[in-house]
Amino acid sequence: MQRNLTSTRSQRIFQYGDRPWNTGVVAAASLVPILMLMIGWMLWRDSAQARLVYGWDFITPTLNASWNPVTDVFQAWPFIYGTLLTSITALALSMPVSLGVAIFLAELCPRWLYQPLSWMVELLAAIPSVIFGLWGIFVFLPEVVTPVGNALFAVFGNIPGLGKFFEGPIPVSGSSRLAASLILAIMITPTIAAVTRDVFVAIPRTQREASLALGATQWETIWQVLFPYGLSGILGAVILGLGRALGETMAVTMVIGNSIEGSFSLLRPGYTMSSLIANEFAEATGILHSQALIEIGLILFAMTLLLNIIARYLVWRVAKRNVQEARA
Amino acid sequence: MDMFLDMFMWHHQNKKTQNNFPSLIDYSVVETASNEVKKSNNLPFLVTRAQEDVSVSLPSENFYKASIRDFSLYYGKFKALSNISMDILSNKITAIIGPSGCGKSTLLRSLNRMNDLVPNTHTEGEVLLDGTNIYTPGVDIVGVRRRVGMVFQRPNPFPKTIYDNIAYGPRLYGLRRRSLLDEIVEQSLQQAALWEEVKDKLNQSGMALSGGQQQRLCIARALAVQPEVILMDEPASALDPVATLKIEELMQTLKTDYTIVIVTHNMQQAARVSDYTAFMMIDSPQTRTGILVEYEATSQVFTNPKNKQTEDYVTGRFG
Amino acid sequence: MTSTAEMYPEKRLIASYHTRTGYTRRKITNVGMLIITGILTFLALVPLVWIIGYVIYKGGQYISLDFFTQMPKPLGMEGGGVLHAIEGTVILTLLGGIISIPPAILAAIYAAYHPNTILGIAVRFGTDVLSGVPSIVVGLFGYALVVKTQGHYSALAGGIALAIIMFPTIVRTTEEMIKLTPHTLREGSLALGAPEWKTTLSVTLVAASNGIVTGILLGLARASGETAPLLFTALGNENYEIGKIISSGVANRTGIMAILTRIFEQPVDSLPLTLWKYAQQPYPERINQSWAAALILMILILTLNIATRLWMQRRMSRLQGR
Repeated sequence: MQRNLTSTRSQRIFQYGDRPWNTGVVAAASLVPILMLMIGWMLWRDSAQARLVYGWDFITPTLNASWNPVTDVFQAWPFIYGTLLTSITALALSMPVSLGVAIFLAELCPRWLYQPLSWMVELLAAIPSVIFGLWGIFVFLPEVVTPVGNALFAVFGNIPGLGKFFEGPIPVSGSSRLAASLILAIMITPTIAAVTRDVFVAIPRTQREASLALGATQWETIWQVLFPYGLSGILGAVILGLGRALGETMAVTMVIGNSIEGSFSLLRPGYTMSSLIANEFAEATGILHSQALIEIGLILFAMTLLLNIIARYLVWRVAKRNVQEARA
Repeated sequence: MDMFLDMFMWHHQNKKTQNNFPSLIDYSVVETASNEVKKSNNLPFLVTRAQEDVSVSLPSENFYKASIRDFSLYYGKFKALSNISMDILSNKITAIIGPSGCGKSTLLRSLNRMNDLVPNTHTEGEVLLDGTNIYTPGVDIVGVRRRVGMVFQRPNPFPKTIYDNIAYGPRLYGLRRRSLLDEIVEQSLQQAALWEEVKDKLNQSGMALSGGQQQRLCIARALAVQPEVILMDEPASALDPVATLKIEELMQTLKTDYTIVIVTHNMQQAARVSDYTAFMMIDSPQTRTGILVEYEATSQVFTNPKNKQTEDYVTGRFG
Repeated sequence: MTSTAEMYPEKRLIASYHTRTGYTRRKITNVGMLIITGILTFLALVPLVWIIGYVIYKGGQYISLDFFTQMPKPLGMEGGGVLHAIEGTVILTLLGGIISIPPAILAAIYAAYHPNTILGIAVRFGTDVLSGVPSIVVGLFGYALVVKTQGHYSALAGGIALAIIMFPTIVRTTEEMIKLTPHTLREGSLALGAPEWKTTLSVTLVAASNGIVTGILLGLARASGETAPLLFTALGNENYEIGKIISSGVANRTGIMAILTRIFEQPVDSLPLTLWKYAQQPYPERINQSWAAALILMILILTLNIATRLWMQRRMSRLQGR
């Protein structure tokens, strides 16, 4: 009796341990949103002076932008342009391939091939960015990018208007925005393909059966029923891929040539926002210089945050709709 | 009516010899057996009809629309159906009943080769559609599926507008003219008794309709490609009684134009709607292979079954 | 009610559209497109094989025992290894793991048990979004958070940056694994009067432990290959040698805490960081060494990935088999 009334210290911990435990769990969970806010806030705080000094001029499109640590005049447009051009080109190249991979995996390939192929696609995503860069510099650029770049220059270089994007010549080393785009396309394909594959797999079987029973071929079923059904999820996958492309750093830094020249061309060396930060931040001694770089980081953060929120929302919506249908 | 039943029996008795007969010979045998069947002399044949641009007369009444001959189906090593033989009459409603897991749906899905979707499936025997085996290598499966439409257990409209749901099939076959499509959409919806309810909202999503309406939309979608046979896999199992009644009434009107085969786990439904009833069972709990136990006119199956197992089942003494 | 016969007295309309040529065209399109998707899949996997093959070919030529056991030689000199980077990778990855694993598992527990509260949604959505934050931005954050406050680059800053990188992976896998454990297990323990914390620790986490370990290993694998977050946190340090730090610490009798502080307070190199620096130097010796580093890194990461996946699949199939 007595022992039950006067509990020992260890028993008290045993019985009342739930409160500290729950506090710990909630604190850890709160860490996720807090971390997001902190990243945003610190980038905002540490770019305050740059934002004050340069204002909106920092990101307005201009033809001859200046990036000069000596005179402390910084304009980010060439890097924003480089990031957008390479990412969108990469996306355009990767989209058909990823869609093909997803369709092949989810709808066509024999069962025994599904696991190994899925794994290989995911392994491609696991290879570190620096290894892509290393392979890019010494193998991919000289063997693929330079010839392709020369061919593109020969074909499109002299067309008025469009030719601006294919102004050459491409450097012999192959270092160019085209190289960055191609490497990015390879790197984001697994992401887009895997998410799209999951979207296809989540579509109820009855949709396929309904279409086939009407006499549709497999391709007609995929293209006219499954694709529209999963469209928002596929869009989410594509935006997710775009987000990855925008933020990718090391491989791009190694192959893009890192040059601030005022060219529009895919075939010329360039710079992206992330590769600029990677190259200059550690050596940035001026306050405004490092603040300008952090502001670029802030822009990058805002862009990827926005894209990720949209993408996740779209993918979640498809998943939620399927759950509702399964219940109905 | 009895004459047809005799013919079924005749078929069953002659299963072995019939099995290898080409379809033409088979029908000539049938013709000598019955004067009534002479109507079916000018049967349209699958190949000519499906692949060539020909005018086709509508099917005459009372002939075998489809014949299942000694049909067995395997999923890998598992034998799901064993030696099924039955004939499905044109413009009648044939019900397939039996305890769950006995292969009713599998048999139904064999009639338009939907089982092809399951990997490692192979079949033995034949399924003749207007005398042509749809399991012949190189057969036009798309054509088979156009002629044999299907309605599923759960309503499965596409996430498209009501109009596009119905126009989906005709468009696949290359029909693009808006006026014709409009006409087909209206006629199909009218046939499915849905036109009055949706004629003002053809551009709304098919998924926004109620469950019963969705199922009728799926029926209309199947009708839009103008099939000859409609397979229904427990079409009312997900619906409330009022919607079920509507579907059953609809089936009665559809049978003037179509041959209907329905799988149902609801015996009352089978008794209410069908003209012929097939009772299936598994042969043994170990092998779980589906076999056809009895196939007769519905009134006979429910009032005077020949087989003891059928009697047990329809009187509710079983499973 | 209109019957089909009235609708189309002459013929069945659709049948007339279903022509042999039309069907052939559709069939060719079908087969053609299906083949194209197969080709695209092949195309997407070409870089994988190419990269792995080339790294093995090149790295295999230059790898040697010295490479693992020697410190780097001065520029332009033959020989030397990347011991400092190997040690650095281990230190940074472990540090990142130690920092991120406990909160990640706790956050996952919360998200698994409160999926519909605002915080629960915030955790799942937040981790998804966090995994999409560019790693270079995480590097900037690590700089602002640690390096700026401390006034110098350090292994600690690098570890924190890597912790943020691996955090989402661990949270999401753990959450999935906890959700997979049967509810009855947990309820059984709670019904016996065990408090919630003890139930979670001794029943739920134990039941889900294999999956959680998998998630942790995948997170570590991802973090060990990252470069961008380390550029201005760990920075790099060719003179980093744990053996020396420890032996000098022991010789001077400075105590364990002081030794640990020296280990974590210095800037440090890692394999991907070294690879990046060496690849851009004009000395063939260094470039060869960067191929060798790439080989080690790739073997490390691919082994972790393949092993965890194989293990998971075996467990899954065993679960399904029962």
